Amino acid sequence: MVRYRIVIVGLAVLLVGGGSVIGLRQGSDRVIAATPAAVTPIDWLGDSIARAQQRLRDVPGDYDTWAALGGAYLERARVSADPSYYPKAEGALRRSLTIHPDGNATALIGLGALANARHDFAAARDLAQRALRIDAYSADAYGVLADAQTQLGNAAAATSAAQRMLDVRPGLAAYARASYDLEQHGRLAESESLMRRALSAAVDPADIAFCRYQLGELAWQTGRLDAASTEYAAGRAADPSYLPLLAGQAKLAAALGRPGEALAGYADLTARYPAPTYLIDYADLLRAVGQPARADEQLGLAAAALRLFTANGGTDNLGAAQLALAQDRPADAVRAARREWSRRHFADVADVLGWALHEAGSNTQALPYARRASALGARNAGYLFHLGMIETSLGKKGDARRDLRAALALNPHFSPRYAPLAQAALSRLGVR
Amino acid sequence: MSRRLWLGLAALGVGVAVLALPAQSASAHPLGNLSVNQALALNLYPNRVDVAAVIDLAELPTLQERAAVAVEGSTRYNARICQQLARDLTVRLNGRRLVWTVRPTGFEYRPGSAGLHTTRVTCALSAHADLAAASTVDVTNGYRADRIGWRELTATGHGVHPVDPPIPARSVTDELRAYPTDLLGSPLDQRSARLRVDPGDGPAALGPKTHLQRGDPVSRWIASADRTLERLVGDRLTPLVGVLAVALALALGAGHAALPGHGKTVMAAYLAGRHGRPRDALVVGAVVTFTHTGGVLVLGLLLTTAAGLAGEVVLSWLGVASGVLVAALGVAMLLTALRRRAPAHDHAHDHRHGHDHQHGHDHRHHTHRDHHHPHETGPGRRLGLVGMGVAGGLVPSPSALVVLLGAIGLGHTAFGVLLVAAYGVGMAGTLTAAGLLLIRLRDRWTARPHRSLTRLAGLIPAGSAALVLCVGLGLAGRAAMALG
Repeated sequence: MVRYRIVIVGLAVLLVGGGSVIGLRQGSDRVIAATPAAVTPIDWLGDSIARAQQRLRDVPGDYDTWAALGGAYLERARVSADPSYYPKAEGALRRSLTIHPDGNATALIGLGALANARHDFAAARDLAQRALRIDAYSADAYGVLADAQTQLGNAAAATSAAQRMLDVRPGLAAYARASYDLEQHGRLAESESLMRRALSAAVDPADIAFCRYQLGELAWQTGRLDAASTEYAAGRAADPSYLPLLAGQAKLAAALGRPGEALAGYADLTARYPAPTYLIDYADLLRAVGQPARADEQLGLAAAALRLFTANGGTDNLGAAQLALAQDRPADAVRAARREWSRRHFADVADVLGWALHEAGSNTQALPYARRASALGARNAGYLFHLGMIETSLGKKGDARRDLRAALALNPHFSPRYAPLAQAALSRLGVR
Repeated sequence: MSRRLWLGLAALGVGVAVLALPAQSASAHPLGNLSVNQALALNLYPNRVDVAAVIDLAELPTLQERAAVAVEGSTRYNARICQQLARDLTVRLNGRRLVWTVRPTGFEYRPGSAGLHTTRVTCALSAHADLAAASTVDVTNGYRADRIGWRELTATGHGVHPVDPPIPARSVTDELRAYPTDLLGSPLDQRSARLRVDPGDGPAALGPKTHLQRGDPVSRWIASADRTLERLVGDRLTPLVGVLAVALALALGAGHAALPGHGKTVMAAYLAGRHGRPRDALVVGAVVTFTHTGGVLVLGLLLTTAAGLAGEVVLSWLGVASGVLVAALGVAMLLTALRRRAPAHDHAHDHRHGHDHQHGHDHRHHTHRDHHHPHETGPGRRLGLVGMGVAGGLVPSPSALVVLLGAIGLGHTAFGVLLVAAYGVGMAGTLTAAGLLLIRLRDRWTARPHRSLTRLAGLIPAGSAALVLCVGLGLAGRAAMALG
């Protein structure tokens, strides 16, 4: 009898216990089902985000995973161009730092990368340096530092950071940064070969698309349109959703004399992602094909996008200057470009400030900035065109002829709007 | 080093950390200014499938399409968008694609950030479908598939029910009005789902996330009233709508307080154990109103200013705080009751037990205590009452929060505050009424000169204190479990 009782009691315990365990399970399943999760097929990044999220639901004090999640959100923002991930990334990274304020290099590196993405390069540099004080062998910290120093115009510091990154952990990220650094110095062949090494190290479709895009841009810069076309196409084959490739292809179509295709490409791109730079390029093309009203429409959109960026706490004086130039407001462009120049001495900023001063009629002031843009040896048709036009205005005919010729030799199609102007200016200067 | 300073501050607690964050990227539109967001609600009937669609265009897409709206007019634009949606939304019943009848139901501009606007377009699609027998429904939303945006799908059965549906029955964003800011949630990107649909209203008919709709008629009524109020706040404000909304908020507050929780048990035990008077019930009610209104306002403010603050976590922590407070009150009551019992446990009730004095451990204390008996007054007692009220109102009612956030989102902040206050008054009303009822019952009961009952009454202080302690621990434990 006793044995029966034991069996019955045991069964009851088993049933009740099992029921409660199943109940618990179902409860937690329900929680998971209720929390949104991205469902994209073969999504490596999405998987790691989902795993980190689950881990943090179980262990909310795991600062390492918080920092890793912040980094993954940043990566998501970069790949998908979806800015809504930035506040999430910041929240996760700050949570990590809150839990573990001292010696948390990973969180500092993530915040540095975020600052770079938001164009706060000085903050990014400081964060990377703080991370390096904790971990002097962090390749990622050197990456953030290299990006920040490049954009701040500290070329030597940028090169040494990129070199350190290559030493510590040669790989896709290091190759890509070293390649960009070489490009800044006009060493385009070496830059391309490093980007090819980056490509051979790339596995993820988004990374392949990134490398292909960079290779396409390098080919474009030296006027090798066929090579550029091949790279862009290969990139889109790897990841059709990588948006810069669409911009590259549209730009290429315009250069190859297919304005219809180019306009359709830009329309598609800006419908998907109305970023100011794309909108300004689109407007340039519209103006070049004689549709000024539609061009103005795009610039109005670009102005709104910039206003939103500012309303969200960002500052983009370079973008504001470029927009002002596109809208023929040279005085505003000078003001914005000067503000940016006071923050950082990057070649692009020098170029835009020089061109803005030229458009505002101050060619004497403009010249040193335009020269500064190419000072590192960068071979950029746009920079050379601006320099040549400024020299033309100053009556330096020999210099102007040399630089305009160099611009057109580098890439005769560098801009649908300005390449014809360069041609015309050169023929006015006469052949010598 | 100011950075160091705020990090130090941040470590102190959630609230400080949130306030110390730099106020950047407080995007008025939750998913970025260039997103196109969609919420599709499937309603399944035995003879048809309906879809209520909401499309929310953030500032930049709104600007991009403004020219088109200006050219064709908002009505035709609405119709065109709905036609495109119907073209790209594929629902297959057992493999056969349904054919939609399309009805555009709304177009409006709403204020966005940087002085720009957002667009809210709604459509109603309907298709004949024979769901009388068990069937499979496949949904694929390919509308504007290349745009960044929040995409959600929900499914509800009416006379049929989805079995273990992979998608919820109710929108987690209140149809794109309030996006969650949980750091651990990725934006929803639900583009497709497969539903198994059986005839009849099954137990799983309501799917996950619908606990509010289940249960007794009272909770169901409250849930539907919640939604009505949320909808009212979203409407254009007229005096009638305002009065209706306030009345509804009052009723809802009262109704929520009538549901389990909110420390009614505790208050009852407290009033019973401490010889509460009608005035005490009023005090508790007033404190509940104040605490609840203030709590909702502060939390609402935090949630609107700080991206990345998880509302549920804060609620859980408040739940823990409330539970701990109740438990502390229980301990205090228990101590008082024991102290009183030890020397002369029912000295105040009848003096027949005077001989008990010889058991006194602490005679001085006993006499001192006598001054406070039978009706305790003074700071300790008032503190207890206030504590009770604070504990009752500390955990904001999620629906009051939703109403407030909705009102803020629509620029009706003052109205939202008013509604929340009405909510608190309603809650206080129920709690006070419950308290008064309890006092009346207790008075009638203890008035009877029955010996056994009198002895029982002597046990009330200790018993009720223990009850309060247990309930407090229970509340704190439950809230802590939710924190994980």
